Amino acid sequence: MQRKYLSLITVMLVAIFFSSCQDKEYALPLGKTGLNNDCIKRTLGPNIVGANIEFAYAMALPASEGKIVSSQVVATIAGATGTYLENRSFYTNSSGVDVGITVGSASVTTDVKTMVTFTKDTCAATLRYFYTIPEAARGGSVSFKFSATASNGQTVSYDMGPYTITTMDMKLDLVCTDNKAMYLSIADMALYDAAGAAANAANIDLVYLYRNIAGITFTHALVSPAASTDYLPGVTLPTGVNKSTKMSKTWALNDFNLARLQYGIYIDDVDFKVLDFTNAPNFVINLKAQAGTWVETADGKYRAYIYINAVNNTAPSMTVSIKRYKMK
Amino acid sequence: MKKHFIKFLILLLVIFAWVRCAKNFPTDEDGLLITTRGQCYVGNFELLGADFQTVRTAAAVIDTTAQTINTTVMFGTDLKNLFPQFSLVTDAKLDPKITGKVDFSDLANPKKWTVVSGNRLVRKTYTVYITVQPKP
Repeated sequence: MQRKYLSLITVMLVAIFFSSCQDKEYALPLGKTGLNNDCIKRTLGPNIVGANIEFAYAMALPASEGKIVSSQVVATIAGATGTYLENRSFYTNSSGVDVGITVGSASVTTDVKTMVTFTKDTCAATLRYFYTIPEAARGGSVSFKFSATASNGQTVSYDMGPYTITTMDMKLDLVCTDNKAMYLSIADMALYDAAGAAANAANIDLVYLYRNIAGITFTHALVSPAASTDYLPGVTLPTGVNKSTKMSKTWALNDFNLARLQYGIYIDDVDFKVLDFTNAPNFVINLKAQAGTWVETADGKYRAYIYINAVNNTAPSMTVSIKRYKMK
Repeated sequence: MKKHFIKFLILLLVIFAWVRCAKNFPTDEDGLLITTRGQCYVGNFELLGADFQTVRTAAAVIDTTAQTINTTVMFGTDLKNLFPQFSLVTDAKLDPKITGKVDFSDLANPKKWTVVSGNRLVRKTYTVYITVQPKP
């Protein structure tokens, strides 16, 4: 019995040995025939109204079968002004720089369709598509159908999406200037001087000021008009400017869209929804570049994130960028 | 032979079960190891704002005899949203635990925390006194 098993195992081992040592004939892989395409989305993070969604659409067919005649993108919602399909095909050179080669005429956008007609005899190209998110897409979603046509009559298409478009707004690089453009309105996403603030008193949420006070660190500050006068030294508020805005200071929350730095941090709609402003103060002082503050307006209508891009102590000013989410 | 083998196996299992159940390393209600250390003090104290940056103007003064911690915070500090951090002697723990923001705004009633030694037999309550940097 034992001997029988031993012989069986030996036979099995020999069989495994032979099968593993058998050489397989190598054959060159055959390329795909016909017109083929592929697409990737290049932009990351939330899709914000007014900003771009960028895609790279690649199409190719064997040179012997023909050339590419046209390429087009159809969006479910027409893009805003600035939407276009590149007429250059890009490759990355040895230095890592993207180099564009013109392959067709400038794109033509008609309603939801953006099209490039090829003018060069080419059988392979990668075109970039920049979709500027329109106001009509806010809070909704958008999808895209990329397609290409070859001279042999073949057509291919590639569906992308749907992509959710955020509800929030964004405003970049507002320059707050001490004693001048120092009244910030979250509702208007704008800065006002004293006269402008008086005219828009109901919309003023914050006052920017810079103070260099010996013995304490005050420097750049964003203060609610209703905050203690201890935090508004030397400020005479225009008539009617009296809101109390809740705030929560942050540090190094370098949102990519606002900071435009190397950090892959994105503030999205959901981040505003989960904020807790219970016991939050109505002022923040000692602000530096790369700091920021979450904000909730007095009426609870808006929540925002104000990012400090830069500060200037010599000519007191502060550059801020804002993401704002409408709560009600 | 088979009978002896079964007896040996049962004996082995009994020994194994007995050894496994012996409580050589006692733990407390938090699952932390109770050690032989009786030391009970705060080594360092930090106070962070909502932005997780320090709000102190200088190092906190820790009196291990009086069991007090005195620290001055910057003018404009939001006292309702602070994160205290204690550095304790080895094996000690804090009671109550700090699980999030702490409201220090009632300066007349300073916050208290009790340090519990590694052997869980010594308890010392520290009072944290906060002074806000005055406006000049």
